[in-house]
Amino acid sequence: MIQLQNVTVNYGNEWIALYQVSLCVNKGEFVFIVGPTGAGKSTLLKLLYREETATQGTVRVAGHDLNHMPSREVPLFRRRLGIVFQDFGLLPNKTVYENVAFALRVTGESSRTIRRKVPHVLEMVGLAHRPDAFPHQLSGGEQQRVAIARALVNDPPLLLADEPTGNLDPDTSLGIVQLLHHINVRGTTVIVATHDHTIVDRMQRRVVALERGRLVRDDQQGAYRPLLMLSEPMRS
Amino acid sequence: MRLSSLGFLLHEAWLNIRRNGLMSLATLGTVTVALTVLGASLWTIFRLSEYAQFQPRRFDRIDLFLLPDVSRERAETLRDQIAHLPGVARVRLIPREQAWADLQASEPLLTEALEENPLPDKLEVEVRDIAQIQAIAHNFRDQTAYPDVERVVDAGEAVRVMLGLARVVKVVGGSASAGLFIATLFLVYNTIRLTVFARRREIRTMQLVGATPGFIRLPLLLEGLFHGVVGALLASGILLLCAREVSRFVASLRSPLIGDVPSLLSPWHVPAVLVALGALIGLVGSYLAIRRFLRPI
Ligand SMILES: Nc1ncnc2c1ncn2[C@@H]1O[C@H](COP(=O)(O)OP(=O)(O)OP(=O)(O)O)[C@@H](O)[C@H]1O
Ligand SMILES: [Mg+2]
Repeated sequence: MIQLQNVTVNYGNEWIALYQVSLCVNKGEFVFIVGPTGAGKSTLLKLLYREETATQGTVRVAGHDLNHMPSREVPLFRRRLGIVFQDFGLLPNKTVYENVAFALRVTGESSRTIRRKVPHVLEMVGLAHRPDAFPHQLSGGEQQRVAIARALVNDPPLLLADEPTGNLDPDTSLGIVQLLHHINVRGTTVIVATHDHTIVDRMQRRVVALERGRLVRDDQQGAYRPLLMLSEPMRS
Repeated sequence: MRLSSLGFLLHEAWLNIRRNGLMSLATLGTVTVALTVLGASLWTIFRLSEYAQFQPRRFDRIDLFLLPDVSRERAETLRDQIAHLPGVARVRLIPREQAWADLQASEPLLTEALEENPLPDKLEVEVRDIAQIQAIAHNFRDQTAYPDVERVVDAGEAVRVMLGLARVVKVVGGSASAGLFIATLFLVYNTIRLTVFARRREIRTMQLVGATPGFIRLPLLLEGLFHGVVGALLASGILLLCAREVSRFVASLRSPLIGDVPSLLSPWHVPAVLVALGALIGLVGSYLAIRRFLRPI
């Protein structure tokens, strides 16, 4: 599904956000990307939906070489992804319902399909009771759930989520992660960038750790911290 | 693009206008003011040049008042003689009786007071080229060549002023309204750019969820069109109201110089021209503004 080969991303001439990262994710996998603030998690996800392009190296997603994709094809490519942005990226002048429906509108989906699908995903994220609220009338956590609903409504083969539990209480976080797990079981490849220990440790899925732009760890069934580091305090 | 999408995009444009209330109002206000000024100046220039073209007709004539003792035959001979001069288009002899009758008709109080006809015979000389009227009038003032002519009246200075005005109105007015058109376009472009700028994050989000540039552009273009057309209608309303007051005022002056100059413009032309201009300005303005912020990412 995803192949990164020796990918380096520079911002400007100086700042290296990712350095020589190679990563391969198969169809149907569930991957956490962890690391401290500024490690390059968001940059890695942006590469995958082509908001950023690699300065060096190749990025392939769902069979497309993103470095050489004509800009005309980019919208069509993005419609097959579900993206939860770290800043939610909700349209402020649209209601919850319209925000979610927008992802279907851009694909030219009929109003009938939209009326069928949107309430369904709102139900899934627990927002069925507030379809007519505007984003500024919602709490941070509720906005985040709208963002998740919008990412799911297309039934995308690949779901990219940047801090999808960043503003949620532990119980709700777990609910969201279970939702993501559920979607993963149905066949969607899921990539989640996070610094939420609890959910990573609880899920026991593949963990890719970044530190200052470098890939420092890739465990098939990992925890947020490597076992070595966990044991360190005991040793001293 | 599918039909259901088109319906959605129309609805989108309408929602944007409604939900960005204050910004829409600001844009609409700007467009209205700009188009009112542009429309007023275009209209003024058009009317002024109509006046300027109309007026010289009254001034392309030299009146020669003959001495009271000149006989009718001598007057007719003089008329035929002048008719053959170069630069003269036509000569008409107005006998004193006819002039008196005309005066009686137009100013009955005056003629009653006078009782007897004091008017001399008059020759009305129409020249071919207005620019030469002064030179020709000057010849008639030569007493030895035209001993029978007592007084020569030509429009003189007035003609020159009118001709100059006609030229100035055309040149200055033409370039002023061209400048004003560009200024209006820029003003509208800038206002729409501000609206688009305020929504650049929104536009980015739309791009990231897979909206094509056309899908994002169309509602914004429709918004520009809406502001242009509605602004033009408001401006037309303002202009027509003002025009009514102005023409009332002008009529109240009863100046003989400002007669009823017929106009090629009917009141319907004003909204028609302004709406066309407004639509053009709205579309071009928003197109330019969008192009600036709709970079592919
Ligand atoms: N547009 C940009 N221009 C310049 N530098 C940037 C830009 N975006 C990110 N960076 C830098 O690149 C580095 C990686 O940023 P990134 O957003 O990927 O971090 P992150 O791991 O997602 O952090 P967080 O956990 O806080 O979200 C940071 O040091 C950041 O300052
Ligand atoms: Mg981030």
